[in-house]
Amino acid sequence: MNIALVSDSTCDLPYELVERYSIHIIPNVLIIEGESILDDASFSRETFYQQLPELESLPTTATASSGSYQEQYEVLFQQGIEQILSIHASSKLSGILNAASLAAQEFGGRVHVIDSLQISMGLGFQVLAAAEALEEGLDLEAVLKKVRAVRQNTRLIAMIDTLEYIRRSGRISWARASLGVLLRIKPFIEVKDGEVVRLGDARTRKKGIARLLEHLEKLGPLACLAVLHTAAQADAEEFLRRASPELDTEPFIVNATTVIGTHVGPAALGFAAVLQE
Amino acid sequence: MSNEQRSERREQFRNASIDGRAFKGLMEAGLTWLRTNQQLVNSLNVFPVPDGDTGTNMVLTMQAAVDEVEETPDGNVGAIAHDLAHGALMGARGNSGVILSQIWRGFARAIDQQEKLDAPSMSRAFAEARDTAYKGVVRPVEGTILTVAKEVAEAARSSSKDSNDPVKILEAIVEAADASVKKTPELLPVLKEAGVVDSGGKGLFFILEGMVRYIYNQPLDSAVTTVQPLAAMTLEDTLESIEPGQDYEVVVDFRPDQPLNLERFYGDLEKMGTSIQVGEGDGMYRMHIHVPTEKRYEPIDYTMSLGTITKVAMENLLAQMEALEKESRGSKLTLAPIEPGQIAVIAVAPGTGIARVFASLGVAAIVEGGQTMNPSTQEIISAFENLPTDKIVILPNNKNIILAAQAAAELTVKKVAVIPTKSVPQGLAAMLRLIPGGDFNEITADMNSALGEVLTAEVTTATRNVEIDGVFCQQGQSIGLLDGKLVIATNSLPEAVLGVLEKASAEDFELITLFYGSDVAKNEVNKIVDQVRAGYPDQEIEVQEGGQPHYQFIISIE
Repeated sequence: MNIALVSDSTCDLPYELVERYSIHIIPNVLIIEGESILDDASFSRETFYQQLPELESLPTTATASSGSYQEQYEVLFQQGIEQILSIHASSKLSGILNAASLAAQEFGGRVHVIDSLQISMGLGFQVLAAAEALEEGLDLEAVLKKVRAVRQNTRLIAMIDTLEYIRRSGRISWARASLGVLLRIKPFIEVKDGEVVRLGDARTRKKGIARLLEHLEKLGPLACLAVLHTAAQADAEEFLRRASPELDTEPFIVNATTVIGTHVGPAALGFAAVLQE
Repeated sequence: MSNEQRSERREQFRNASIDGRAFKGLMEAGLTWLRTNQQLVNSLNVFPVPDGDTGTNMVLTMQAAVDEVEETPDGNVGAIAHDLAHGALMGARGNSGVILSQIWRGFARAIDQQEKLDAPSMSRAFAEARDTAYKGVVRPVEGTILTVAKEVAEAARSSSKDSNDPVKILEAIVEAADASVKKTPELLPVLKEAGVVDSGGKGLFFILEGMVRYIYNQPLDSAVTTVQPLAAMTLEDTLESIEPGQDYEVVVDFRPDQPLNLERFYGDLEKMGTSIQVGEGDGMYRMHIHVPTEKRYEPIDYTMSLGTITKVAMENLLAQMEALEKESRGSKLTLAPIEPGQIAVIAVAPGTGIARVFASLGVAAIVEGGQTMNPSTQEIISAFENLPTDKIVILPNNKNIILAAQAAAELTVKKVAVIPTKSVPQGLAAMLRLIPGGDFNEITADMNSALGEVLTAEVTTATRNVEIDGVFCQQGQSIGLLDGKLVIATNSLPEAVLGVLEKASAEDFELITLFYGSDVAKNEVNKIVDQVRAGYPDQEIEVQEGGQPHYQFIISIE
């Protein structure tokens, strides 16, 4: 069976892997001061995060239109693809899955849209598992089973440097409560069952990073790990060094997509991990 | 614009159906009017921050739709609607854009291949638009653009029974959309809380209203240029539409020397600000405008040049909003709602500011009390007795309250852990470890371990002469305590603050948070904070109103 794999730019998979496995990534859209910018390889994340605190108005993000999904699916079917696996960011956090599902309706069951219930590499590891399974030549059912297993074992925890961006983004209901109170805190978040839940707070970065390490250690043996950050490369490297996890695979360090960064702000640090089965 | 021109456009729409060319005109008008009001739609944000994007997303979606039909031949409304829907689908941005594209998709499907748009087909098209919009959303929510689409469809259906005139139907639709938008806060509590109407619904309203304005040849590229009866001007709701940067509201009553040229009047006002409204009654005019601070006198000078001013009112919108916010903050605390089985934290707080900070971190109940007003065991029990959970954590935040808290723990059937926090900073450190859905034993152990992560400095006034911990102090002197131990006594409050920080070796820490008390003046606080900043340039300094009595400062060093 000829199966193609589609995801979106919130999956944060390194571009080498995207190319190596021919994964079709639909870029999301960033709107900075009225201008729409595609979140793809041509857009520098480093520059974006440098500029973010200075921008007059906060950028906003938008999902790619369902039309662009429809177009991508069409192109793939024209190329002789028989089935499409389309894995995307949690439907509880963005409209991406909605856009993809709407587009899929046009193809009568040949496009399988999957809610990863995750974002960033929490989604990326599921896409990667699908890619590897497809390369092994597994059939659709077996591929889906692998993806589900990874989804079950994925944990994503992060420390956000300031509540400000997540509060302003308006997507997370608990972030609203702190409106008007200025106590400087660095919230910990976990993406769990597709939603962002709060895991307490830190008040200083040093103690926050120490606690992030504790969270990681508590998970036990890991199969895969990605250290995620928004423009905090040095902290991410230091974190990985201190964590020194024993893994079956090479760990990643990922400067997370600006589409996520817009909502969490710069200097966030976290990880996505897949537990050993 | 002359009345002649106005009626001419209306004549084009006199027929019982809308042809392709007119349909394109309507869509373009909808886009233009939406763009004119884009910032207003953006500002309908649940959060009082200038970063809403619904208006922008809808404009981009609608723009893509209108661009798509540019080349479509005028001959067939169905074909135009088809291309329009395709353009919207490809260009859809954001949730509101996706739903808008679904609306056009349904609309187009209902009038497929139809040459002209008449009353019955309009009714069908809006019904299909509604159905498609609802299907495009996994979990439809009322009080949004969906509800507006639904009520628009209903208005199209019922008005098409009474009339064959497409313009009449469009007017009925706009009226229904307007009413529907105004009702959204009743359906969606989060809107009501924020005091706004739904932004997506409002965007849809502007698109439809633009069409009717186009038919009547009313301007589309400048915001509201109508004159209302003076009595009908409602200015109370202006806070709901406050735009970023437009900080002052200016209202001027005047009698013009010459008949007022409204076009020019609006044109000139638009160079100064936004939210322009003009009312008229008996030759008296009232002008309302929002302007940036530096332009606050311009509308007055300008109106003065046109006639005689009888009354001027100016209000600082930002200050008003802050005052409102402060009022609501002062009157009640937003405490975390507790679900059955979750861990609920009860914190003892010696001041309103400190209570607010605990509330912002998610405590379920506050018990007032502190150094000189220890709450009773009963007061503590009452705070948690009625919470819908049996997992309770108490933060006494004062060494004299720990025992009362422990007694409370023994007098209840609920599972209670008292974290022996001796100070507010310790209580906050413990609070940071709360995960409401976490394992009770794990979380309370975590909270206990957090107490050592923070140093507490307190500055107060000595009530008598005494020597403790090797420090002698006289009554009335400022004294500094570090983790409960007297470390400095001096005649100056700033010296006491700096002295206790020095004893704490604050330069080795990252963050210093000062909670100032109710009996220290704000300018005194500012002076002291400046000195602290100067003395600790590498540390982050945060200042919070604590509101506690007797203690000029409670300081957290971490």
